[in-house]
Amino acid sequence: MNKLHPRIRIVWVLRAIIIGVVVGAIGVGLSTALEASPLVPVGMAAIIILLGVVHAVLRYRNWRYVVGEDAIYLERGVLTEIRTEVPLVRIQHVDSRRSAFERLVGLASTVVYTAGSRGADVMIPGLTPSDADGLRKRLKRLVIDSDGEDAV
Amino acid sequence: MKLAPASIPYRAFQKATSLGITLVFIASIGAGIRIGSPTFLLLIVGILLAALTYEIAYYKRFGYELTDDTFDIRSGVFSRREREIPYGRIQNVDISRNVLQRLVGLSAVNIETAGGGSTEAAIQYVTAFEGKRLQQDIRRYKRDESKTPADTDADADRSVDEEVLFEIAPSELALSGILSFDPRVPGLILAVATGSIPFVSPIVPVDAPVMILLALFAVLLVGGMVLAWIVGAISAVVNYWGFRLTRSDDELRYERGLLQRYSGTIPFDKIQAMTIKDNPLKRRAGYATLAVETAGYAPGQASSRGSEAAVPIASRRRVETLANEIAPFEQPTFKRPPKRIRRRYLARYLIALGAITAVLYGLAVWVDAAAGVPWYLPVIAVLATPIAAHYKWLHRGYSVGENHLVTRNGFWSRETKLVAYYRIQTVIDTRTIFQRRWSVATVIADTAGSLSLLGTDAAAIDIDQRDADRLREELTERLRVALVERRRQRTGGFEWFDEDDEQAAEEHTVDEQTANTQATETQPDDTQTDNEQTTNTQTDDEQSSEEHVVDEGHEPNDSDHTAPDRDGDSTN
Repeated sequence: MNKLHPRIRIVWVLRAIIIGVVVGAIGVGLSTALEASPLVPVGMAAIIILLGVVHAVLRYRNWRYVVGEDAIYLERGVLTEIRTEVPLVRIQHVDSRRSAFERLVGLASTVVYTAGSRGADVMIPGLTPSDADGLRKRLKRLVIDSDGEDAV
Repeated sequence: MKLAPASIPYRAFQKATSLGITLVFIASIGAGIRIGSPTFLLLIVGILLAALTYEIAYYKRFGYELTDDTFDIRSGVFSRREREIPYGRIQNVDISRNVLQRLVGLSAVNIETAGGGSTEAAIQYVTAFEGKRLQQDIRRYKRDESKTPADTDADADRSVDEEVLFEIAPSELALSGILSFDPRVPGLILAVATGSIPFVSPIVPVDAPVMILLALFAVLLVGGMVLAWIVGAISAVVNYWGFRLTRSDDELRYERGLLQRYSGTIPFDKIQAMTIKDNPLKRRAGYATLAVETAGYAPGQASSRGSEAAVPIASRRRVETLANEIAPFEQPTFKRPPKRIRRRYLARYLIALGAITAVLYGLAVWVDAAAGVPWYLPVIAVLATPIAAHYKWLHRGYSVGENHLVTRNGFWSRETKLVAYYRIQTVIDTRTIFQRRWSVATVIADTAGSLSLLGTDAAAIDIDQRDADRLREELTERLRVALVERRRQRTGGFEWFDEDDEQAAEEHTVDEQTANTQATETQPDDTQTDNEQTTNTQTDDEQSSEEHVVDEGHEPNDSDHTAPDRDGDSTN
């Protein structure tokens, strides 16, 4: 079982902070317009950020993945635990992707697409760029080896 | 090849009328244009002429061709487009004709491929004869592609005869009308009603007693229901008029519709899943509904009629025979979730009822107009909750058959889903925080079916966590084995038969069997340790209604040979 790169927590925490700050800013704006105390929105923002941090830590702790011989297996989720098996024969294409935050901490994600209705669900975040590239190339090789006719 | 010449005036007429209607609408709003004035008439004529010129250009530009391995379409007046669709990728070919089109002898042909939410190629319009010919030719080319030339000669004669699988009887059509209830209509009525409250309120005396308001509301509700039922009945009859399902060697073919006639084909190897639906009314009368899902965009989905190859209603036996005919499967014996889960459902229903009661109570206390509302009425439904919870549990289950995973869900409208193992895309196992409290899990077998977009995947919901682990492993394993088997069948027919591949496949299956036997041997110890570890040791918790276990021989394998991969093989 592989774990994600520990730095992915920074990305998640940053995301929570941004959401918290945006909510807080809107709230403060509203409360000044309505001449109410800005304490409530500030408190809300603090709670959002706090929950975000806790969530990020737990999420990191629960994330596991394995690229096996026939399938990718992922285990993740805080409130809802999700375990996904993606047979390699079913992979349609593979992306590696880097969001702004990910670039900031030097990480990348690999996204695996299948023809299934929940196709884009399978994303492995928190890889180093070289790992993400390696994973993509490796998956590509494995997928080419398996028969393309079976994809749908 | 070209479109039918009659399509030019038809399309022009179609365009002009829609434009004309918009114009009249604008005029009626009062944009200063008088409908009778000469300028207006001139405008209409101008539009007609413009539409006609455009359509002539469209007709000139539009061409399609059946080449040896692709279906080519060239189209576009201003921006041109050329598209080649390989026959192998075509999912289904549908023909639709509405009343007007039937009068002038035109057909619209739609070609669907997997992926993408829209029709890959729409050919509007060809003559009815040409439409049929296209449908048959594409089918023939498809078959040619997947078989060696020697096979096709033998097939040439057979392709003509089609076996009728299902033909709707008038009584079934009537029944489907009676039993169909369109829930969208009351919603629509409600939306209109709330919008028209300002208009209605002056009619109702302001100081009318609450009871009268309630009575009015009840009348509206009942009226809405009746209307919904009538609309549903009419639309069902119109949609499924003359429904007919036939099969040839490798395809299903349907025809249906009164005002708009639809016909289409579904290749067997594109079928993703089948769903058998019923509700207490239908069950009592011994009827059921069957839907066939393909990976293509289900035509008519936009008007939310779902998959076209649905048999609206037929006796349960007929539906089962038909499903068996499409994909042979054995009678499933369902393994149900553990009995303890009934308490969870009961709690869920009670919470929902409690919430409704609380809202009503709140209304009764704080809103003057609703002072007399009998907020305690929903409490009576508490009596029904144990029954509902029991049935929810009773109807839930999954069955791991020879070639199919069968799942069943739904307390009122019961859905049985059949998914062939080789159709599974991914296996997803989810455990919400609440499910973890009851140590249960949901295992979803995701397919490329189009109906799955509406969130009705084949799912074994609320099964014991240990069962979930086993089911997940077993599904991936069976998928793998089924794919190896299929590949072997496919390559088996060819001349360039690859011996190495074959051997490798065989070795794999042997591995499999040894692994399986090993797994079953080690099984008892595993279960025991698991049992010891479980803190949740209520007696009836432990028996997850084992009386329904099928297939003892295939006792799910905690397979030895995937587990090491997990720990050992990493991306690094």
